[in-house]
Amino acid sequence: MRSPLIDRRDFLKGAGAAFFAGLSPAASAATLTTDAVFATAYQKRDGSFGAAILSEEGKLLHQVPLPDRGHDVTFDPVSRQSVVFARQPGTFAVVFDHSGQREPLTIASPPDRHFFGHGVFSPDGALLYATENDFDNAVGMIGIYDAHDHFRRIGEFPTHGVGPHELLLLGDGRTLAIANGGIETHPDFGRAKLNLSTMKPSLVFIDRLSGDLIERHELPPALHKLSIRHMDVDASGTVWFGCQHEGPATEKPLLVGRAVRGKNLHLLDMPETILGGFRNYIGSVAANRDAGTIAVSSPQGNSYAVIEAASGRVVARHDLTEVCGLAPDHASFRATTGTGEIVAAQGSAVQAQEFVWDNHLLRITA
Amino acid sequence: MRRLPIIAAGFLVFTAPVLATETPDAGPIISRAVDDFIRPAYRDFHAATSRLNEVTSKLCTMPSENLLAQARSTFSETVDSWSRVEIIRFGPVTEQNRLERILFWPDRKSTGLRQVQAAIQKEDPTATNPDTLSGKSVAMQGLGALEFVLFGTDSESLASDAPYRCSFGAAIAENLDSIAGKIENAWEKPDGFAKSWQNPSETNPLYRNNGEVLGELLDVFVTGLEMERDVRIGGFLGEATEKDKPKQALFWRSGQTIPSLAGNLSGMKALFDISGLAEALPADKKWIAKSIGFEFNNALNALASADGPIEDVLADSAKRGRLTYTGVVTSSLSELFGTRLSAEFGLTAGFSSLDGD
Repeated sequence: MRSPLIDRRDFLKGAGAAFFAGLSPAASAATLTTDAVFATAYQKRDGSFGAAILSEEGKLLHQVPLPDRGHDVTFDPVSRQSVVFARQPGTFAVVFDHSGQREPLTIASPPDRHFFGHGVFSPDGALLYATENDFDNAVGMIGIYDAHDHFRRIGEFPTHGVGPHELLLLGDGRTLAIANGGIETHPDFGRAKLNLSTMKPSLVFIDRLSGDLIERHELPPALHKLSIRHMDVDASGTVWFGCQHEGPATEKPLLVGRAVRGKNLHLLDMPETILGGFRNYIGSVAANRDAGTIAVSSPQGNSYAVIEAASGRVVARHDLTEVCGLAPDHASFRATTGTGEIVAAQGSAVQAQEFVWDNHLLRITA
Repeated sequence: MRRLPIIAAGFLVFTAPVLATETPDAGPIISRAVDDFIRPAYRDFHAATSRLNEVTSKLCTMPSENLLAQARSTFSETVDSWSRVEIIRFGPVTEQNRLERILFWPDRKSTGLRQVQAAIQKEDPTATNPDTLSGKSVAMQGLGALEFVLFGTDSESLASDAPYRCSFGAAIAENLDSIAGKIENAWEKPDGFAKSWQNPSETNPLYRNNGEVLGELLDVFVTGLEMERDVRIGGFLGEATEKDKPKQALFWRSGQTIPSLAGNLSGMKALFDISGLAEALPADKKWIAKSIGFEFNNALNALASADGPIEDVLADSAKRGRLTYTGVVTSSLSELFGTRLSAEFGLTAGFSSLDGD
């Protein structure tokens, strides 16, 4: 039998070479050399859900069962605990310690809120911030949880938008960047999108300590169906975001952009061949700050692209079935797929027999 | 939070080659789907909106009990034909907010109801002109708004003397007819969307290969079943009777809740049969198609014996049970389409690709 896996390895080797050729010498020299593990939510082939910690070789080091589908994982380097959030409109998050020294702890969202799948710790690890839906009022919220008190919910503030998705803590340790996807949903109606004709996504900067809105950015009105959903921040502090277009497939808007405080959002022009392959859908965004690159994936387009942060130029494109999870790995990125593959930056691929990987992959420095 | 006690299976069909299977040639399958299901279904819908347009304008000229009854029954026929073709959620219907303008639902905050009532109360002249109406809120120009006009509080006045309400209703009907005509034309055009769907290539901006073409068709079932279960049924059927919300059901005012559920399913069944997906399966996998046919029939039979206004259906434990059962059957169908059938066709049911995350 023909083995597509081998073909893909060969392909990736080739693509990797092209990748280095496209980068400046300084950028290609910088690689992540420290040991790392990777965290991701998964579904087992038997239908059950969980979160896993994987070694660099793709070995399963630790797993935590989940009652339903998870989404993203966030990690606190101070306590060395991770939190995996339920996929929207899920109502749980599970705190776990992959060294196995502490029992997992389940956080329940309040009855009138649900999680959107993303969260972030404060730099001291004391507080956990999560994007949440005040669904009866169709208002996005950030829930605040006290990590030192069994993750008790101690407050919340609005995201000044509808349907917040990913959030990031910026380098100052205080400013949150939040992607308000703009899509209204309500748990009564599953994942149905209730406001596509009037949706208005935004990217906001909020002071996590006061909850005050610092800046709110929108795309031009003609792009009001371009849902801003995933982000990462590069070494210069620029926020890179990826979008999902809710308008007709015949429209091909730009899908990746940059946000900087004090400036309008800027959408990145991309070659048509790359952009067209994304099927109007970016599923995750990851930065390799050491290498100076950003990767954006499209599980619907079965591909991901690597962009040089300084120039905004696409330096590589990889075809990979149902790729979504991305994390920095050595000089480029590690990718995981909805078919169970883990493809390391060097191109070596591992096919999990029992697992398929969820949308996001987090690199944890060992 | 209310949830149906059934598996919330949701898959998006993906266009990726999988080991040891071969994607069948989508060409003849898509040709049959377009020529023998999609085009006729949009033609039927357009014919229904044309009749609706005609009867509502007659009603406004000569209000009578008889014409009001005719307008109401034509509305129900329009819902029936719409429900069959509503499952096609790609292509021309996605342009210019047509899908939402035909039917804005769920309208959780009753935006449409408030806007329609306000227009009637203030006799807003821009709502009785189809040209200006089409530029107004999507919630006041489609089937939901027209249902309130024809079946809502004070709708009996249409039989005698309600000129504003009637001309608002007629404008909605004309607007629907215009949208239906545009979608029909866009599908009929020889060099239009259908051609693009049937001719994948690296330079085709919509479909690059055979897998993406077939994936679009399979997505109709995968998305349609999830909508039926989680949104349409799940929107009003509680875990327990006391958690039911009959007024959150689509078309509760006109008693068309169950027919619209059945319309979606019978549309899917017809599309499955007509497109000949079953023939594309190898002999030892024909059971998948048989199971699909069997489950569609189970669901349709259950709905056929759960007829009546939705409040009555929910109050009758046997009928209510048939709705719960229909939800369970759609989960089974989701598995058959999203996992079994798509795997046989070398398409993965994208786990990491579900929409909106």
